[in-house]
Amino acid sequence: MLIEERSTQTLRLSVLKWTLTTTFVVLAVCFWYLQVAQHTRFLETAENNHRRTLALDAPRGVVFDRGGRLLVENRYARNISIVRDQAHDLERTSDLLANVTGTSPDAIREALARNRGVPNYRPVVVIRDATLAQVAAVMAHRYELPNAVVEQVPVREYPAHAAAAHVLGYVGEVSELQLTRQKDAGLRLGDIIGQTGLERQYNRLLMGNAGAQFVRVNSLGREVRVDRTVDPVSGRRVQLTIDLDVQQAAEKAFAHYGYTGAAVALDPNTGEVLALASVPSFDPNAFVNGIDHAAWRALLTDPRRPLQNRAIQGRYSPGSTFKIAVATAALGEGVVKPSFRVQCAGGASFHGRYFRCWRRGGHGWVDMRRAIEQSCNVYFYTLGNRLGIDRIHKWATRLGLGATSGIDLPHVVRGIVPSTAWKKLTTGQRWYRGETISVAIGQGPVSVTPIELAVMMSTIANGGTRLVPHLLKAVDEGRGWRPVPAQAAGPVLDVPPPALEAVRRGLWLVVNGAGTGGRGRLEHYDVAGKTGTAQVISVEGAERAGEQTARDLRDHGWFVFFAPADRPQIAGVVFAEHSEHGYLAAPIAKYMMQVFFAKQERRPLPTLPPTPALVADGATGDLDD
Amino acid sequence: MIDHRLYRHIDWLLVAAVVLLAIVGLAMIYSTTYDPMAATRARIPIGPRVWTQAAALVVGLVVMAAAVWIDYRRLTQNALVLYAIVAAMLLCVLLLGVTAGGARRWLSVGGFTLQPSAFATIPLALVLAAYFGENRLTAWKGSDLAVAGAFVAGLFVLIARQPDLGSAITLLPVFLGMVFVAGLRLRLLGIVLAMGLVLSPVAWKYALADYQRARIVTFLDPGQDPLGAGYQQIQARITVGSGGLTGKGFVQGTQGQYKFLPVAHNDFIYSVLAEEQGFLGVLATLGLYLFVMLRSIEAARLAKDRTGAYLVIGLLSGFAFQVVYNITMSAGLAPVKGLTLPLMSYGGSSLIATCATFGLILNVRMRRFTN
Repeated sequence: MLIEERSTQTLRLSVLKWTLTTTFVVLAVCFWYLQVAQHTRFLETAENNHRRTLALDAPRGVVFDRGGRLLVENRYARNISIVRDQAHDLERTSDLLANVTGTSPDAIREALARNRGVPNYRPVVVIRDATLAQVAAVMAHRYELPNAVVEQVPVREYPAHAAAAHVLGYVGEVSELQLTRQKDAGLRLGDIIGQTGLERQYNRLLMGNAGAQFVRVNSLGREVRVDRTVDPVSGRRVQLTIDLDVQQAAEKAFAHYGYTGAAVALDPNTGEVLALASVPSFDPNAFVNGIDHAAWRALLTDPRRPLQNRAIQGRYSPGSTFKIAVATAALGEGVVKPSFRVQCAGGASFHGRYFRCWRRGGHGWVDMRRAIEQSCNVYFYTLGNRLGIDRIHKWATRLGLGATSGIDLPHVVRGIVPSTAWKKLTTGQRWYRGETISVAIGQGPVSVTPIELAVMMSTIANGGTRLVPHLLKAVDEGRGWRPVPAQAAGPVLDVPPPALEAVRRGLWLVVNGAGTGGRGRLEHYDVAGKTGTAQVISVEGAERAGEQTARDLRDHGWFVFFAPADRPQIAGVVFAEHSEHGYLAAPIAKYMMQVFFAKQERRPLPTLPPTPALVADGATGDLDD
Repeated sequence: MIDHRLYRHIDWLLVAAVVLLAIVGLAMIYSTTYDPMAATRARIPIGPRVWTQAAALVVGLVVMAAAVWIDYRRLTQNALVLYAIVAAMLLCVLLLGVTAGGARRWLSVGGFTLQPSAFATIPLALVLAAYFGENRLTAWKGSDLAVAGAFVAGLFVLIARQPDLGSAITLLPVFLGMVFVAGLRLRLLGIVLAMGLVLSPVAWKYALADYQRARIVTFLDPGQDPLGAGYQQIQARITVGSGGLTGKGFVQGTQGQYKFLPVAHNDFIYSVLAEEQGFLGVLATLGLYLFVMLRSIEAARLAKDRTGAYLVIGLLSGFAFQVVYNITMSAGLAPVKGLTLPLMSYGGSSLIATCATFGLILNVRMRRFTN
C-alpha cells in the first residue's frame, strides 16, 4: 500500500516535471515566433511607435512692389494634425478632436482620407489655422489625444487684400492632379503651392524647401529627443515691377466711375508692368487656409466673374484702337505716305457694299494725322482695302496684337487677328476682300486682350521695339537683389521714323486736338491716346436679346495711351466694360498717369474728381466711332 | 536546533539560480525605471525602486535563511496558526488597507507597505501539506476534499475581495498541484475540474468585476479596443517582437524606455527583458526558471515524508503558475492581469515571499535524512 502510494507519487511528480518542461518549450517556441520569425514586422511597428517626422514648412518668399512696399508676406498660424499610428484608434481620435475643437468630424475624416497616401509617421493636418481656443482645447486633452499635434506653420498674407490680386494670385493645397502632372517638381501631398498669378508662375522661386524634424516621442506623444533637424529654406524674396500706387489708382478709379474692366500700364522703355488691374477683384487671403466650399462657389458663379484676369484673359473687339495697327501697317508697307489724303463723305463703297463713317456728314479731306484724330472710318477702309488682310495681320502681330505677349503670368489667353490662312484653318473657307473693310476699323472677327493693346502702345511709344511685358523686377537668391533684364520680343519695326511720328502725332491730336480723348488730357504733360468702342452685340442680336438688361448690352470702351508724347515713360490701356464710349474710359487712364507723374516728381498723390463724370445718355450720340 | 551536518545538504545550485534570477530582475528594474533626465542630475544614476528592491532582496535572503533554519515539520504542525495570522492580515487589508489603483492591497507598517496576499500561498501550502500528510488521499472521500477546499476558499475570498483576482487564482494551482501529487484519484480530480467548469459561468456573472470581464473579452479580440485594455496586449507583442534575436541592448529598448508599455518594471518586466536582451536572453531566463522548478520537483521526490513532498509541490505550483502566466502575458498571449513575475518584478513583498518559499523547499530537501 505504502509502496504503491509512493510509486503513484513518483509517477505524478514526473508527469508534473514533463508538463512543466513541455510548457517551457512551448513558451520558448512562442518567443521564437515573435522575436525571430516575426521580428521585422514588430520592429517596424515599434519604430513607428516612437519616431515622428514633423514637417518644418518653409515660409514662402516675400513679395515687394517696385518701391519696396510689402505685397505678400507670411504670418505664423497653428495647424492641428493627427499622427496615424497603429496603437491609436483613428475614428475615436477624430471624433474626440472634432468634439473638443468644435469642428465637424466629417471635415477631419475627409482630411484624413485625402492624405491616405502620406506616410504614417508624418502627421496629417486636419485643422488649418486653428484658433487659440482650439489649440488650448487640444492641449487640455493631450492625454486623451496623444496622437494629435499642434504645429506652427507660416501662412501667406496679402496686406493689400484685393489690390493686384490677379497679379499676385493665390495659394492652395496641392491637388492630386497637380501631383501627378508635376511629378518632378518635388511636391508632396499637403504642400501649399501657388495656384494662379505670380504665386503659380514663380512657385519654384517662392516656395522654398521644407525642412523636417525627426523626433522620438513617448507614449503620450511628447517629444523626448530630437534626432535630427533639417532647417527649412525659405522662399526667395521677389521685387515686382508693379507700383502699388499706380495699381491702386487704377482700381480706385474703376470703383469711382462705377465700371468693371481692366487696366494695364507699362514702362515703354523696359516692358516693366507698372500696373495690371482687373475689376472686380477678390481677396487672396480667403484662400490661404483652403477656401470653404460656399465661398468658392460664390466666386465661381458670380456673373461679374471676379476670378477672371480680364487684362490677360479677356478677349474683346478692339474697335477703333485697331486703326493704330492699320495705320502702322500702311506706313510700314509703304502703301501710303502720312500725307496721303482721302475725302470722307460719310461713307464709301467697297466691293459692292456701302460702308459708313461714324460721322454721317463726313470728315471732308483728311490726311493720316487728321484721320487718326477724327477716327475717320472711310480713311481706314481705304487703307485696309489697299493693304489686304494678310498685311494687316502681319503688322498687327508685330505690334503684339493676337500674339503672345510673353508676360510672366499663367493662363494667358491670346487675341485673334484674322488672316486668309486663319480663316482657311478655322472655317475652311476663303477670305473675302470685303471682310477686310470691317477689320480695318477693328470690327469683324478681330479680338484682342488688354495686355496686347498695352504692348502695341508701348511699341508705338518707344519707336518700334516690342518689349516683353514682365512683372519680376528683381530676385534675391540669397546674395542680394539681382535685377531681371528687359527683353525684346522681336526686332525693331522697320517703319520710317517720320511715318511712325505721324501716327504718334495723330494720337497726340486725339487727346489734345479735336479728338475723342480729351478726357485723358493732362496739364503739363502731353498725352497721346486713342479711344475705341468694342461692340458687345450686333444690332440684330440686340433685338433678339430683348429681355437682357440694357447695361449688359452696352458697348465696352477702350482708351489706349502713352505719355509724355515725345519721350514716353508710361504706356497702357484701360478697358471699361459697358461704358459705351471709349472717352469714358479715359479718366481712369488719366488718374493713373496723374499718380504716376506725381510720384515721379515727388508731389503728393492727386485725388479723383469729386463728382464722377457719369454718362449722359444720348447727349453724345454722334461722337466717336 | 540545526545540525551542522545539515549544511552539506543545502541545494546551493538552487540558491544560486534563485539569487541569479533576482539579480537579473534588479537589472531589469534599473532599466525600466531609468530616467535619462534624473541620470544626468544624480551622481549615481540608480533610481529609488532599484534600492528598494535590493533591500528587499537582502531581507528576502535573511527570511530564506530563517525558513531553512526552522524544521518544516514544526511549521506544518503550527500551520493553522500561520494560516490564521495571514488571514487576519488580509482582513486588516480589507478594513484598513492602502488603496491604490482602485484596489486595496497593501498594509502600511511603520513606513513600509506590505502586501499580505503575496504570502498567502505559504500558509495554505503548510496547512494542506499537514492535512494531506496525515490523511491517505487514496482513501479520500468528497467531504475531506471539501475541508481542504474550505482552506483554499477562505483565503481566496479574502484576496479576491480586494479585488486582486490574479493573486487569488494563484491559490488554486497550489491546491490542485498538491492533490494531484498526493495521488487523488483521477476520477475525483476530474470532478473537481468539472465543477470548476460548471461554476465558471456563474463566476463570470457574479464573481468578476466589469474590468475583469473586459480584460478577458479584450484578450479574445484585442483589436476591438486597441486604445483601452487591448493596448497593453498589442504593445506587449510589439515590445517582445521588436527585440529580435539579440535584443536592443540594456536600457536601449524603445518600447519600455518611451513608456509604451505601462508598469514595465512590474507586470511587463519580462517584455522589456525580451526587448532589450532578445530571444537569447529569453532562452537563458526561461532555462533558469525551468531549472529552479525541476530542482524543486527533485526536492519533493527526495523528501523524507509526504508532508514535505506536498509542501514543496504546493509552493512550487503557485510559483510555476505565476511564472508561466506572467511570461505568457508579457508576450501578449494571455489576458492582462496584475500577476507579477516572481523574483523579477518590482515588489518587496513578492520577493521576500518567494525567498521564503524557496527557503522552505531547501528546508525539505536538506532534512531528507533527519528524523
